[in-house]
Amino acid sequence: MLRAALIIAHKDLRLLVGRSSGLVQAVLLGLVLLFLFSLSQAPGQRLPAQSAAAVFWMASLFCEILVVNALFFVEESQGARLALTLSPMPLQAIWLGKALASLVLLLLAQCLFLPASVAFLGQSFSGDVWPALAMVLLADWGLVALGALLGALSQGQAARESLLSVVLFPLLLPLLLAAVRGMTQALGGPPEPLENWFMTAGAFDLMFTAAALFLFPYVYGGDA
Amino acid sequence: MTLPVPLLAALAGLAMAASQWLIWAYAPVEATLGPVQKIFYIHLPLAWWALLSFGVTFVASVLYLLKKNIRFDLLAGAAAEIGVLFSGLALVTGSIWGRVSWNVWWTWDPRLTTTLVMWFIYAAYLLVRGLEMPRERKATVAAVLGVVAFLDVPLVFWSARLWRSVHPAVFASKEGGLTGEMATTVIACVAAWFFVWICLLLTRRRQLLQQERLLALQQTLSARN
Repeated sequence: MLRAALIIAHKDLRLLVGRSSGLVQAVLLGLVLLFLFSLSQAPGQRLPAQSAAAVFWMASLFCEILVVNALFFVEESQGARLALTLSPMPLQAIWLGKALASLVLLLLAQCLFLPASVAFLGQSFSGDVWPALAMVLLADWGLVALGALLGALSQGQAARESLLSVVLFPLLLPLLLAAVRGMTQALGGPPEPLENWFMTAGAFDLMFTAAALFLFPYVYGGDA
Repeated sequence: MTLPVPLLAALAGLAMAASQWLIWAYAPVEATLGPVQKIFYIHLPLAWWALLSFGVTFVASVLYLLKKNIRFDLLAGAAAEIGVLFSGLALVTGSIWGRVSWNVWWTWDPRLTTTLVMWFIYAAYLLVRGLEMPRERKATVAAVLGVVAFLDVPLVFWSARLWRSVHPAVFASKEGGLTGEMATTVIACVAAWFFVWICLLLTRRRQLLQQERLLALQQTLSARN
C-alpha cells in the first residue's frame, strides 16, 4: 500500500508543481494574506507573537484548501477517478498518496510563509524553535489527513473551495489551537509547557488518520 | 416501529405548561442575577438535547454506512437539523445569560466554544446535505461527515479548556449552587424539553421520508410519460 501511495503522491506532485492552478496559486494566496494582515499593525509597531502565529496558520489553512482541491481536481476529467478506483490497490492508498502529496506542498508553502511572517508581521525567531518545528509537522499531518479525507467530499461541486473551508475549518480547531501555541513559542511568546498541546495534536492525528483509513473508501469509491 | 407522535405531542404540551409554572411560580428568584437567571431553565435543556441530537446523527451515520438503509440517513439529517436549531438557541440564550452574569456576550469558555464549533460543523453538515449530487452518494458523504464531526467534539472541548487555562479564571462557570427548588425545576425542564425534542425529531423524520417517497413517485411518473 505504501508503494502505491508513493506512486500516487509522485504523480500528483509532478502534475501540480508546474501548474498555475496548483502550488503557485496556493502560495500566492498565503503570501497575500500575510501581507494584508500587516495592515493591522500601526507604523513602527510589531504584531504580538500569538497574532502572528494565528495569521501564519490561517495562511497555511487557506493554502491547504487550495492544494487539496487541486489534488482531487486532477482526476475529475476523462473518468480518471474511475480508473484510479479500478487499479489494483486498496482505496486507502489513494488517501495516503493525496495526504503525502499535500504534506509536501504544504511544507514547501510554509517554507515561504515563515520568512514572509518575519518580514511583513515584524517577527523574529527569538523563542525555542525545535518544539515549534515538531508541532508544525504534527499539525501539518493532521491538516493533510483530514483534508485528504474531506477533499474527496466536495468533488464535482460548484464553489468547492468555500465548501471545503466551511466544513474543514471548524473541525480543525483543536489542531489549530495547538499549532498556534507552538508557533507562538518560536516567535518569542511567553514560555509555557507544550506537553498537553503535543498530546492534543497527537490525539487529533491518530484519531483522524484512523477515521480516514476507515472512511475514505466510502467517500471515494462507490457511485458518482 | 411507529411511536405515537400525537400522544407525545400532548405530553410535550402538558410538560411544557407544567415546567413554565415551575419556572415562574415555584422556583425562587435568584439573589444576585434576578429574573434573568430564569433563562437558564430554557438554556440547559436546549444545550443537552442539542448534544443528544448530534449523538443521534453520529449513531445513525454509522448505521447508514454499515447497512446502507436510507432511513438511517433521514434520521441523521432530521437529528442534525434539530441539533443546529437547539444549539443555536442555546448559544443565544447563553449569550444573554453571559452578558448579565459575566458582563460579556462571549468568552473562550470550553463549553461555549464547543457549542459554537459544533454549531458551525453541523451547519456545514446541513449545507452538504443540501448539495446537488446523486442520492446515495450524498447520503454516504453526509454519513462520513456525521461520523467525523462527532469524533471531533471531545477534542474541541479538551483543546478549548487547555487554551483558556493560561488565562486567569475571571469568568468562573456558574453551575453549582442550585437550591433544591431550582434543581427540581431544571430537571423538570429537561424532561419537558425531551418530549418537544422527540416530537420534532419524529415529525421531521417522517416529513423527510414522505419527501423521499414523493420524489421517487415523481421520477417514476416522469419516466412513464
